[in-house]
Amino acid sequence: MTARLDPRTKLYMILVVSAVVMMSATTPFLWAVRILMTIVPIVLLITEKHYASAFRFLILYASALVINFTCLSEQSEGFLMAFLVGYCSIIVQFMPAMITAWYVVRTTKIDEFVSAMQKMHVPDGITISLAVVMRFFPTIKEEYLAIRDAMKMRGIVLGEGNIAKMVEFRMIPLLFSCVNIGDELSAAAITRGLGGKVKRTSVEILKLGIQDYLLIALFTSVLLIFVVFKYFL
Amino acid sequence: MNKKRLQAKDFITIGIFTALLFVVEFACGMLGFFHPYIVASFVIMIPIVGSIPMMLFYTKIEKFGMLTIMSVLLAIIMFVMGMGYLGAPLIILAGVIADLIAKSGKYKSFKKTVISYGVFCLWICANYFPVIVTADSYRKDLLDGGYSAEYCDNLFRAINYKTIGVLLVLCFVFGCIGAFIGKAVVKKHFEKAGIV
Amino acid sequence: MTGSIIDIRNVTHKYKGSGQDTLDNVSLEIKEGETVLLCGASGSGKTSVIRLINGLIPHYYQGDLTGEVYVDGKDISQTELYELAGVVGTVFQNPRSQFFSIDTDGEIVFGPENIGLDPKEITARKDGIIEQMDLKDLMGRSLFELSGGEKQRIACASVAALLPKIMLLDEPSSNLDWESIGTLRDIISEWKKQGKTIIISEHRLWYVKDLVDRVIYMEDGHIGCEWSGDEFRSLDDNDTRSLKLRPVNIQGRYEETFDFSAKEKENHREEFTDGIVLKDFYFSYDKKPYLLFKKKYSEADGEDLSLCIPELVLPKGKVISVIGCNGTGKTTFLRCICGLEKDCTGTISIDGKEYRGRRRIGLSYLVMQDVNHQLFTDSVASEVLLSMKDKDDARCCEILDSLGLLKYKDTHPMALSGGQKQRVAIASAIAAGAEILLFDEPTSGLDYSHMEKVGELLHDLASSGKTVLVSTHDPELIECCCDYELYIKNGRVISFTGSLKKPESIRRNAI
Repeated sequence: MTARLDPRTKLYMILVVSAVVMMSATTPFLWAVRILMTIVPIVLLITEKHYASAFRFLILYASALVINFTCLSEQSEGFLMAFLVGYCSIIVQFMPAMITAWYVVRTTKIDEFVSAMQKMHVPDGITISLAVVMRFFPTIKEEYLAIRDAMKMRGIVLGEGNIAKMVEFRMIPLLFSCVNIGDELSAAAITRGLGGKVKRTSVEILKLGIQDYLLIALFTSVLLIFVVFKYFL
Repeated sequence: MNKKRLQAKDFITIGIFTALLFVVEFACGMLGFFHPYIVASFVIMIPIVGSIPMMLFYTKIEKFGMLTIMSVLLAIIMFVMGMGYLGAPLIILAGVIADLIAKSGKYKSFKKTVISYGVFCLWICANYFPVIVTADSYRKDLLDGGYSAEYCDNLFRAINYKTIGVLLVLCFVFGCIGAFIGKAVVKKHFEKAGIV
Repeated sequence: MTGSIIDIRNVTHKYKGSGQDTLDNVSLEIKEGETVLLCGASGSGKTSVIRLINGLIPHYYQGDLTGEVYVDGKDISQTELYELAGVVGTVFQNPRSQFFSIDTDGEIVFGPENIGLDPKEITARKDGIIEQMDLKDLMGRSLFELSGGEKQRIACASVAALLPKIMLLDEPSSNLDWESIGTLRDIISEWKKQGKTIIISEHRLWYVKDLVDRVIYMEDGHIGCEWSGDEFRSLDDNDTRSLKLRPVNIQGRYEETFDFSAKEKENHREEFTDGIVLKDFYFSYDKKPYLLFKKKYSEADGEDLSLCIPELVLPKGKVISVIGCNGTGKTTFLRCICGLEKDCTGTISIDGKEYRGRRRIGLSYLVMQDVNHQLFTDSVASEVLLSMKDKDDARCCEILDSLGLLKYKDTHPMALSGGQKQRVAIASAIAAGAEILLFDEPTSGLDYSHMEKVGELLHDLASSGKTVLVSTHDPELIECCCDYELYIKNGRVISFTGSLKKPESIRRNAI
């Protein structure tokens, strides 16, 4: 089963998850709904064959939940306990958004994302900038590794014992490289027509399918449940 | 040929520097993983380390919108990374105001650049919003669960609605300090090499 | 006047902030369907002419421009760059920084998407290009995983997808190995068949010599002379050398140097008694999972190893070229000797002392292909001092002087030219006291005289007692200064022979 979701659906999921975690879950029912909502991206990760990360998230979330609930019910007041419970509750709070975000970032191609933004009528300028941001992350990584190799070779990885120098030695060559690559990249992009008066098109044809509608419905209902409980009960 | 408006080349430049800024945030963020409350030190680290690419960025485009678009991108990235959308208004507002301040100095006045960067750095506080929300909801949970209010306060002394004001001020202050540092570094290298 | 698709009239140009004119009253007419080669030393203005035609001058690179340029009937100064996209396509020098997307499919459709074509039309064009350029096996892959040659093919496809009438290529073969250059030549040949007007700016003349109709030699910003295709093909080495160009008819020598199958049959190994001994160098890029202790590689691992050198003796004070196809272990070899791959086992013995693990790092110094990664400070002098444990100003000046860099002592390294930056890196290497100097493609993209200077430099370094290893695809460099040839394939030393170096007298006289 392939659940090829439209990027817009994925963005909607993040939106709902971000909103829901801000509304506190006071009853067991709400907790159950929240947990269900968190399980969905994990399941989606599995359908996209990201077994290792799905597994890790599941274990982490489950153990944090367990610690959170069991320790909360006991009248433990020791500092260590409080710290542990605090830590776990933060994990429980952040995990849903984190897992959903991981899922979206890992399974969406840049072209699909750009296409979704164009469909949502985001101005071309912002779309281009965002595409460049995503395209530059691997480049920055490559450049940084090369620079770090050079530093290893010259024995200056620790910046001669000076934090300022440590930052300087990494940052300066990286900036020079990025600026140079940026200039060449711009020239190559502009000579291929970027920046024209015409609105960009996209080869990726996005259509909402049945799986999109199902998930949108599911997440909307989760959102509604929380809103109702928070404001009307 | 309208040179006042942002062109394709400018959008690419904005994208590159946004990526760099985000890498700085990520690198500093990794240090914060050791203890969730070390996150408070972001207000010092990120404005200063980030000032180096940012001071270079200020010299690159010099048109209105360069900071606004960057802040929009930051808001989008933070949203997609699951850090919520509450921070978005803060980030974008900071970006617009920073842009206006810089514009009033025609993007060349250093005094205005310092203040502009200080304001821009307020975006960093958006990182804290999820924690504050968590703290708040957790506190509510504890209260509902029957714990004393004292106990809750002890736990979350560092992060709550009151301290966020302090953090914002610190962001601005260190942003201004960072501008001086970043400008010195840019002068030392980029101006000397003739790139600026 | 009519009938020429490109018409450059009396153009004089100076880049903003520069003291000199880059182009001095240049006039050039090119007819549709012609294939023209622009050659000349670095800085002669070849790239600027290309930029005149694709409009980057004046729309992207600011400066003072007089004269007129007409392309396909349009006045360039009045035409926006995006309007030219469907008419002129440019393939740039560096495959790494040309691409906008992360994956191959996205890159090919990038151009058509920019001009707002209908998605069906874009897909049709994309399929057409894939078919024509035989790119099926490259589809669906990340651009970051491709080799230099593969990236350049995608770059060509991406430009071709806009169906331009004019193709410009600015030193496209600079970072490519011999096989990839052959593929590039086939692509250009195909475009020529399609009737495109092609203009190539190049240092490597041999691979285009059969394709060109006209050759323009540029010198100091103006057109020095012009040859027809046949005249060009009949130029011999003396002619080209006097013009400071790389030889035209070098294919034979290339094949001799890089005839790998012959070398494999030979399987000859030079033996040295007093040299640098490399022992037990084993390394693999595929990290095997381990429970508690890292698995130590040994010869028995055989096939899995990316580098497998049980024993190798390198002569001291000589220049050794390291050759082999891209992707078969040359760079791995250099990096392992240098100590950059810490998982690589192996010991280096010099004069009876053994170095292993991290201590190998101080012994050797690698001058990387992209020197920009190795420059950290704001002056040449501090760069050299950075390598010294005990800062010694006098010694620093001595080293700089020996490399002709003394007058740049306080200049920022990034303000220097490529060749000068290379020498700064070498100065740092000498200051660090490295015994083994490694070079990764030091002459890619260099014109003849600069290549010779590098060759001389390597020779001088060897004469001063250092062992120099040069990974290269450049047969002229090998001829110029290399004493031995080390052929590596699949991470193993296949042969190690004396090199066919030109006798010293001929080499020195040529300068």
